[in-house]
Amino acid sequence: MSSITYIGVDGSSETIEATPGASVMRAAISNGVRGIIGECGGQAMCATCHVYVETSLDILPGIGEDEEEMLECTAAPRKASSRLSCQLRTDDFESITVQLPDRQV
Amino acid sequence: MRATVLQKHLCGLEGVVMSLDVSAGLPAPVAEWVDPFELMADPYPSYKRLRELGPVVFAPSMDRYLITRYDAVRDVLNDASLFSSHSFDEGPLVQALGGRSMVSKDDPDHATERGAINPTMRPRSMKEVWSPKFTQAVETWIDHMLEIGPEEADLNRDFAGPVASQNLIDLLGFPPDTDVNDMRRWSTDLVAGIGNVVDDQDIWRRVARTTAEVDAVLDDLLRRLKHKPDHSIISHLQQVGLPEDLVRANVRLTISGGMNEPQHMVTNMVWSLSQYPDQRAAARAGDVTWGAVFEETVRWLSPIQADGRRSTQEVNLHGSLIPENSDLFILLASANRDEAVYSDGDSFDINRNAPSHFGFGGGVHLCAGKYAARTAIGETAIPKLYERLPGLAIDESRKSSWDGFVFRGLVTCPVTW
Repeated sequence: MSSITYIGVDGSSETIEATPGASVMRAAISNGVRGIIGECGGQAMCATCHVYVETSLDILPGIGEDEEEMLECTAAPRKASSRLSCQLRTDDFESITVQLPDRQV
Repeated sequence: MRATVLQKHLCGLEGVVMSLDVSAGLPAPVAEWVDPFELMADPYPSYKRLRELGPVVFAPSMDRYLITRYDAVRDVLNDASLFSSHSFDEGPLVQALGGRSMVSKDDPDHATERGAINPTMRPRSMKEVWSPKFTQAVETWIDHMLEIGPEEADLNRDFAGPVASQNLIDLLGFPPDTDVNDMRRWSTDLVAGIGNVVDDQDIWRRVARTTAEVDAVLDDLLRRLKHKPDHSIISHLQQVGLPEDLVRANVRLTISGGMNEPQHMVTNMVWSLSQYPDQRAAARAGDVTWGAVFEETVRWLSPIQADGRRSTQEVNLHGSLIPENSDLFILLASANRDEAVYSDGDSFDINRNAPSHFGFGGGVHLCAGKYAARTAIGETAIPKLYERLPGLAIDESRKSSWDGFVFRGLVTCPVTW
């Protein structure tokens, strides 16, 4: 099981033990974590699952073409640590911490 | 008894659990008064009554569980394993399209077909590949409107219909000389087929004729595209290696699903801005982006009012029990007016800073045409219309009429300028 820590805009944090194969987006939705919408269900078609990755970016798979395009469409500013959480799967990490942006739309 | 994993989904605003713990659920309230003809005339008063009854209401006249409120709609859209798009029976949706298109499937099968077309439907493709075509169609049909003149023009008949039709021809990749009236007729016939629950044989005859005509175009097109792929939807469907019958079913799906909605968004936006002239002035002055005006219009007047699902198990949804294998209607347009989320939601407000709406659905079946519609209509057709017809407004001296439940819009939309 991989652990995901979501840090809210107010600084509060919540840690989830995610089911294998789930995405950081899906784990948030399944566990009622506020601040991620995931409008398109994980197809990199909406940019509403935007997160800032606080832990190491290097262990994660690189940003693909589709994710790169949609990261330009996020509501909150794009930073070097920006990723679409639907593209980050538990198979990629043992633990991860993500900061949620102040807006998704 | 079947062993199931208890899944808890915390539902934001209401804090109620959606779960498989059915012992805690109650039968859904029943609304005998729901009348499909009233929904077609004006569904919004019914939606309000339904929301007051509960997030889940059973409507005997439609034999469906209606999902009425924002949170419940969100939760149903987000859980495709509990609420499936794969209907067991080969109803009109499958029959009219000549096969099970992507809209009638769940992932992973759905993902293969949908993934094929996503690249050409994203924002950058809209901007770089399709926008010039959209602009060309808009200019052509504004010229046509000017010829008709401000005393006779109907925005639906003279502009919205032909523009939506031409954009569909271009996006699909149909031959450029395809007549907009043919594409419009094909779309109308397929939509009639999809809605043909009464099994009207005359409608099936129209579907058969349209299918034959579209197939004839595809026979040639598919052959050509094999050697010269392009940006079009049909080319993308073919390139991913789908069997030909699935390519054709998804082409028919796109024809049926990609016409009415952008067409209605043209008339919906001009209608909305006519009802609220201060906001029209603000939009034209650039105080608010056309994208924001577009999104608020999709919320306030949703071209697709509802979306269907089937429950795969007995579920406790926000306190109401939905039996296994029940048909649901997710009332997207009702969620878009939910008082708990949108203050004064029955009013149009381009300055509204509110949660995202469900006009394009949600989850893996989120409308593939979302960015096409926003670009073609919100950011091209409407600004151009106001630029070239500055006084554009609904002509109150002639009759406008609304119609439709699942697909809803202005049938007649007389305008002047």
